[in-house]
Amino acid sequence: MRSPIEPYKIKVVEPIPFTTAEERRAALEAAGWNLFRVPAQRVTIDLLTDSGVTAMSAHQWAGLLDGDEAYAGATSFQRFEAVVQRLTGMPHVIPTHQGRAAERLLFDAIVPAGSVVPGNTHFDTTRANLEARGARAVDLPSPATREPRREHPFKGDIDLPRLEALLREHPGRVPLVLVTATNNGCGGQPVSLANLAATRRLCDAHGVPLYLDGARFAENAWLVREREAGLAGLTPREIARRAFELVDGCLVSAKKDGLVNIGGFLALRDEEIATRVRRQMVVAEGFPTYGGLAGRDLEAMATGLDEVLDPRYLEERIAQVRSLGDTLHAAGVPTIRPAGGHAVYLESRAFAPHLDPLDFPGQAIVCALYLAAGVRSVEIGQLMNGRRGDGGRELPVAQDLVRLAIPRRVYTCCQLAYVAEAVLEVHAARDRLAPLELVDEPPVLRHFSARLRPRE
Amino acid sequence: VPGNMYFTTTRLHQELAGGTFEDVIIDEAHDPESLHPFKGNVDLDRLERLIRRVGPDRVPYVSVAATVNMAGGQPISLENLRAVRELTRRHGVRVILDATRAIENAWFIQQREPGQRERSLGAILRDMCAQTDGCTMSAKKDLLVNIGGFLAVNDPDLFEEARNLVVVYEGLHTYGGLAGRDLEAMARGIDEAIDEDHMRARIGQVEYVGEKLRAAGVPIVLPLGGHAVFVDARRFLPHVPQERFPAQALAAELYLESGVRSMERGMVSAGRDAAGEHRRPRLELVRLTFPRRVYTQAHCDVVCETVEEVSARAASVRGLEMVHEPRYLRFFQARFRPVS
Repeated sequence: MRSPIEPYKIKVVEPIPFTTAEERRAALEAAGWNLFRVPAQRVTIDLLTDSGVTAMSAHQWAGLLDGDEAYAGATSFQRFEAVVQRLTGMPHVIPTHQGRAAERLLFDAIVPAGSVVPGNTHFDTTRANLEARGARAVDLPSPATREPRREHPFKGDIDLPRLEALLREHPGRVPLVLVTATNNGCGGQPVSLANLAATRRLCDAHGVPLYLDGARFAENAWLVREREAGLAGLTPREIARRAFELVDGCLVSAKKDGLVNIGGFLALRDEEIATRVRRQMVVAEGFPTYGGLAGRDLEAMATGLDEVLDPRYLEERIAQVRSLGDTLHAAGVPTIRPAGGHAVYLESRAFAPHLDPLDFPGQAIVCALYLAAGVRSVEIGQLMNGRRGDGGRELPVAQDLVRLAIPRRVYTCCQLAYVAEAVLEVHAARDRLAPLELVDEPPVLRHFSARLRPRE
Repeated sequence: VPGNMYFTTTRLHQELAGGTFEDVIIDEAHDPESLHPFKGNVDLDRLERLIRRVGPDRVPYVSVAATVNMAGGQPISLENLRAVRELTRRHGVRVILDATRAIENAWFIQQREPGQRERSLGAILRDMCAQTDGCTMSAKKDLLVNIGGFLAVNDPDLFEEARNLVVVYEGLHTYGGLAGRDLEAMARGIDEAIDEDHMRARIGQVEYVGEKLRAAGVPIVLPLGGHAVFVDARRFLPHVPQERFPAQALAAELYLESGVRSMERGMVSAGRDAAGEHRRPRLELVRLTFPRRVYTQAHCDVVCETVEEVSARAASVRGLEMVHEPRYLRFFQARFRPVS
């Protein structure tokens, strides 16, 4: 069989910026050693995120002109609603400007203060949204995640025995279980349908609703098709539908598998919850038929949610990410195995064992990659997830990762080969990675705007 | 939080944050027949009395809208805005501009305020902003885009705090929940919006409809506002009492007549007070809001004909009763039926 190739050709191009080592050094210093603060024109290959940075198709761009901008009841909403109903089988479809708005609206409707919300691994904005309401977000990742370099097909699964124990321990205090597929916080690893079905049974036994964070529902479906016994004959749409059928509702940031630059949605089975969300959303999001989006954005999402399920697209997408991961792994770079659906994750502590966990080893790698080649990646470790304990002392996090997130339909194999070369170069000189320290930090989601500096 | 008349979502956010709204607009704003050229002006005595009564520490800011939507798209004068600045400076209180239609407001200043006729819209707008400490902007109005908005402030600490909060609910502070192309469209929209040819045609279209309706004897709010013609439903349907929602009833009749959609801006929009009673605004209006650069003069003629046709059979309109009432911003999703 031939290698998968991109099932599209390029119609419009955008030049990428090139910089000198001196310019990168100056940009990094001005940004307080935080890549979120570096302007995009100083970044050559941008792997900060796979969210909202998709290249839209000609069909999507053309659809922008079909967007109906009516404030209420726009035709673009009707088309979008029908597409999501067909995808999820859920009757109540509520657009939002992006995923975190869907989180906020759902949690406002069903999560009281003092609740406990378990999940396979909550994403950073999900956790912030839950904690902002006085709820406790509990991560119950699969035990297989404790061995990052072990090959395991479904490291995204939730840990069922621990979930059962938690449900027994907190009767009446768990308003929902939230499964994120793929599991971004654990290396973009897939959740098996078998695990999701077992989670459903546990939830039923305890009378707790089950929700899916389906930002990467299509990539999860493809990985399930490749890895789960007896499912290879199903289409990605059929597998995705089976996952949606196991849950009471889903929240989706369409900036990932919706193949758009902005947008998200909530899809729900329960009419009463949907009514509550629709009443609340006009305060800070928008009318329920536009949800803070332009009509054209609803058009683009409706088209993207269909395009993403093309098996040729998914096959090539997953293969591209896997190829980068396998190249690095073969060269001895410590990464989470297998490669995730949307990103390759470097294991910072194994990569730079001479650095203390509180020296921000992941951020040190992120900065070195940028200095070496203008590649922007993101730390998911001490800087993003670190908390302060008694007396303001920084507590070490469980895992420190560097994520190389691959935007959809944006970069070519050559460009990713350039990325691999840059990682290998930094890895070869890893002994010279220097510790970082915080200069200042905001109280919430500090990684977005904190400033750091190399420690003397 | 004092302000020159409430706006629905603005007041709700003030209330959800634990504040209360106090109206300090001049009395003429509540009189649909007053011809005051700047019905959006702040009543300076009322503002000063309020600040003295509750103390400046309990007034986090004065909310100044330009133009004032609920008063009929009425402008505030530059002179009044300067006086608000002077007064609040003495008390150490911030002024935040709701700049949603500030460029339309700048047009009215240019046209109506002594000494402003030779200045550009951009210069007047800048002067307005200079009298304030910051502004909130829904770019979906004057900035000629389909989605977007912004917050701009002078205070670096407030800026830092807002930037830290925006990532939780909206998006990173360099995109704020918008696609990059939306930021481009807004940036270009700012330049196009201060173009005088654009604004002359824009305000001219609203004037065209307003004059035509006035000539036909339809009761409307005068002087004409920037973005809409407001039909006075109390005078249009004098036999329908306010508890039968005359403005909502009139909006429904316009739709039945020819498929023209307008919006109620009266008791339904005003909602209920803390005691659970209907707020009863003096203004019971139907807003014919004109999208920018969208409809032609022929479209406007159809709108005028529709209003005149409903006017001819106004006596047969009996009003509505509310059968479903949401808690927040009820006008969006409430349901009604005709009274039998």
